Amino acid sequence: MAAGYGWPQSTAVRAGDYVFVSGVVAIDPGTGERVNGTVTSEAHRVFQNLKLVLESAGTSLERMVQVRAMIYDRIEYDALNRVYRQYVPNGPPARTVWSVQIIDAFKVQLDAIAVA
Amino acid sequence: MTPAREIITPKNQMLNVSRNLNLPHSPGIRAGDLIFLSGMVSVDPATGERSLGTVAHETRQILSNMAHMLESAGSSLERVVKINVLLYDMLEFENMNAVYREFFPHDPPARTTCGVQLSSGLKVEIDCIAIV
Repeated sequence: MAAGYGWPQSTAVRAGDYVFVSGVVAIDPGTGERVNGTVTSEAHRVFQNLKLVLESAGTSLERMVQVRAMIYDRIEYDALNRVYRQYVPNGPPARTVWSVQIIDAFKVQLDAIAVA
Repeated sequence: MTPAREIITPKNQMLNVSRNLNLPHSPGIRAGDLIFLSGMVSVDPATGERSLGTVAHETRQILSNMAHMLESAGSSLERVVKINVLLYDMLEFENMNAVYREFFPHDPPARTTCGVQLSSGLKVEIDCIAIV
């Protein structure tokens, strides 16, 4: 996905038993277009994209071990959590939420480490 | 053969913030030789309540709790390889460092510090990756 924008980063890198995924944002995987929206809509799209990336690398959402969840404003913390728990309902990964500026007016970005 | 993925919890369940506040993350995950911890904030280990204070106070409380978390999983602060420190204001960087040095006097781990928005009046949040 990131490669499609010509950015100097890989979508994910596998090293040994671990897979390191670059920050994932709300992009339509069919067209590459940005799908900016609410924290809720972007979080759904981000998780769907993250699932695609992890499965392409031979792992899955369930095998994530640590996630950095970035949101554009701390006030949206609960909005993020409501979507988040739908995708990792059991034994969720370790996580830290960073409230930061995200590129291209996105409201959510996740990066992750998973075991293969 | 891929490594097992195991959830880590603190022996002192007062420090199990994600369980106590019903948040969608685990305190930590062990996978292979690595331990991944969630962001930790200043919590009183006797009551489980947030322990708000100065950056120095919160940093000391967090790193003390982090030592407990890692020891619960068979590791220790000496075995931390990467740390992220989130501060509510980068002006407090040296106030955090002064306490941080007490916990990592020799060969400290790799570290990134960022100034970000935090919740609930907290001033510091720290996560890490450690080897078992």
